[in-house]
Amino acid sequence: MSEYIPFILGGIGITIGVTLIALPMGFVVGLLLALVRIYGPPWAKAIVGVYSTVMRGIPPIVLLFLLYFLMSGAINLSPFMAGSLALGIISSAYQLEILRGAFLSVSSGQMMAARAMGMTYIQAIRHILLPQALRLAIPPWSNEVANLIKDSSLVYALGVPEILRRSQNVSAATNQFFVAFIFAALVYFILVFVSNRVLDWVEQKTRIPAF
Amino acid sequence: MKRIVTLVSLIAVLALLLAACAPAAPANRLESVKKAGKLVVGTSPDYPPFESKDASGNFVGFDVELMNEVAKRMGVTVEWTDMPFDSLVAAVQTGKLDASISAFNYDEERAKQVDFTTAYYTAKDGFLVADTFTGTISKPEDIAQYKVGAQSGTVQADWIDATLVQPGLLPSENFLQYERVDQAALDVKAGRIDVLMGDNIPLASLAQSLGGLKIAFEDTVASGEFMVILPKNEPALQEELNKAIQALLDEGYVDQLAQKWFK
Amino acid sequence: MDNPILNIVEVAKIYAGNEVLKSISLQVKEGDTVVLIGPSGTGKSTLLRCINLLTRIDRGHIYLDGNEITAPGVNENHVRQNIGMVFQDFLLFNHLNALDNVMTAPIRVKKMSAKEAREKAMYELERVGLKDKAGNYPGQLSGGQKQRVAIARALAMDPRIMLFDEPTSALDPELIGEVLEVMRKLALEGMTMVCVTHEMGFARQVATNIVFMEKGLIVEQGSPDKMFNHPEYPRTREFLWKITELYGNEKEAGKGA
Repeated sequence: MSEYIPFILGGIGITIGVTLIALPMGFVVGLLLALVRIYGPPWAKAIVGVYSTVMRGIPPIVLLFLLYFLMSGAINLSPFMAGSLALGIISSAYQLEILRGAFLSVSSGQMMAARAMGMTYIQAIRHILLPQALRLAIPPWSNEVANLIKDSSLVYALGVPEILRRSQNVSAATNQFFVAFIFAALVYFILVFVSNRVLDWVEQKTRIPAF
Repeated sequence: MKRIVTLVSLIAVLALLLAACAPAAPANRLESVKKAGKLVVGTSPDYPPFESKDASGNFVGFDVELMNEVAKRMGVTVEWTDMPFDSLVAAVQTGKLDASISAFNYDEERAKQVDFTTAYYTAKDGFLVADTFTGTISKPEDIAQYKVGAQSGTVQADWIDATLVQPGLLPSENFLQYERVDQAALDVKAGRIDVLMGDNIPLASLAQSLGGLKIAFEDTVASGEFMVILPKNEPALQEELNKAIQALLDEGYVDQLAQKWFK
Repeated sequence: MDNPILNIVEVAKIYAGNEVLKSISLQVKEGDTVVLIGPSGTGKSTLLRCINLLTRIDRGHIYLDGNEITAPGVNENHVRQNIGMVFQDFLLFNHLNALDNVMTAPIRVKKMSAKEAREKAMYELERVGLKDKAGNYPGQLSGGQKQRVAIARALAMDPRIMLFDEPTSALDPELIGEVLEVMRKLALEGMTMVCVTHEMGFARQVATNIVFMEKGLIVEQGSPDKMFNHPEYPRTREFLWKITELYGNEKEAGKGA
């Protein structure tokens, strides 16, 4: 079994790759949608609301299958890209809600004071609200990062040989079921643990004095 | 207002999906395979001795070696893709794979989605039980009195459902389906199920490596001939594959392979 | 009165069917210090927010330096650069220290260079007596200090007119004095100010014009002498008597820490 360890570890690159595509994509899209949801016209708010409900309501694997198999007529994506994009879309829905909550936690007075000085909505959001909201978003965001790292294993269903799939291969080949999967669990645990520590450090560094 | 927006966006999404589902016009796949010099083949390497992976991550097994040889006869190499068993048919159907070999039996439902080659091997069904099993299985239908398991998406699973569950011989809560066959075998050992129905050769292999299990009964029931699957409407590719497979059968290559892998 | 700096003409504002401002007409000359008084909920704060266009009026017109700022197509953000506002809850930007709080609008809105903005900010902070607190964050400042930073922040934009919305109502009594002192100095330097406040000592000493509002209308207005000593309307007399009793006759701006 131990000779299989390098093989399983080889899947880490894919896990990290999927996460590094899906997470920023989820952030950028999520932030835009969160701003629309708070400041946009009623019809736009409604559309974003539907998007959020649907994407958080369907099992991620369904979206992965839809993007990869069902849409193969129109767009031809590699399993890795299809998986990463699907996870990015789903993450954007969760991040939209996180950021929306963070923005709403920043008191409305901040926006009023900014505008009273002559700032436009966009200037106020960018220079006054966003810096405060992002700090507030860090704790729930680290939760989302952990979820994404774990959800990245779903790309196995599209044939991307990440950690979980490799563990399955090893377990079938060696019949050491538990050892293989416990090892996979350990790898995921370490990835999540490290990312949480990093975000803790970020939170410390960006803390507003006496706030 | 909000409900109207919901309805409209759902319809829009549906329309988009349906449009995207229209299969791309099939070019001659054999041509593009020959041009690329490779055949993209999918398999689920969690089914030794037919397909599994070694410590370096290479695909190994009876099916793997056979397919590599088939491709050689066609003048191309194989690009292997690892996918869960359930996803393989969809991947072939949507053209993501040129073909798939993964101990597939002929199945009418599958035949609606993909095409089959000539058979390259004939297998029997095996019924795996724990060493401590005290019951009797003298014919396949006997298993209805026990807790039964099978790999999902297999012909055995379909047979159990159609022949035992639907007519009410086997209560549906006594029939468990598993993503992989080694999971199912472990459950036999653990006592969660009494009988596992599957292809006899991999089951025998599992019995040997896991220990504490034995084959109680063998017969040709649901299983039978193994074939390679390929996308529909590719007659040229199908012909090439059939030709190669037939040649290997005639030369005795397949028998040799069986000797090597199925001792 | 020719060329008032601020001219409010028959302004009305309705919130949820309720006429918060029924019809307000008011003129403010350059250098005036106008103090708005009246019971809570009579629309005083609403009027201030109408002046700097944070709230849209439903009827009437407002003119700043002769230009109608309530006309359609007016760039409201531009207008607000010329009107400074100080809030009851200070509303300092929490993630910035005092200096950055004062600097940020000149840089972002007026596109000043960082160097210029910093000089301007330090000047204003000195003006309110807080030069040595420039590096402190809002959480590290007392209420009075926060409000003084807020005043500096508004002044950094060189506004034509300053609006104060109950600037001392959220402060501990001991800290009120330092803020009123800054406001008094500003008035003496000739800044045009409109203040909503209960600080009658300040009103008496510093105001050029006291305006008594009730139920969305101006009941009476005039010089402090007139309003305190011989008002025309009994309601005015009644209100001022009550509030003077509450806050003390002798309370004057400038006293206290």
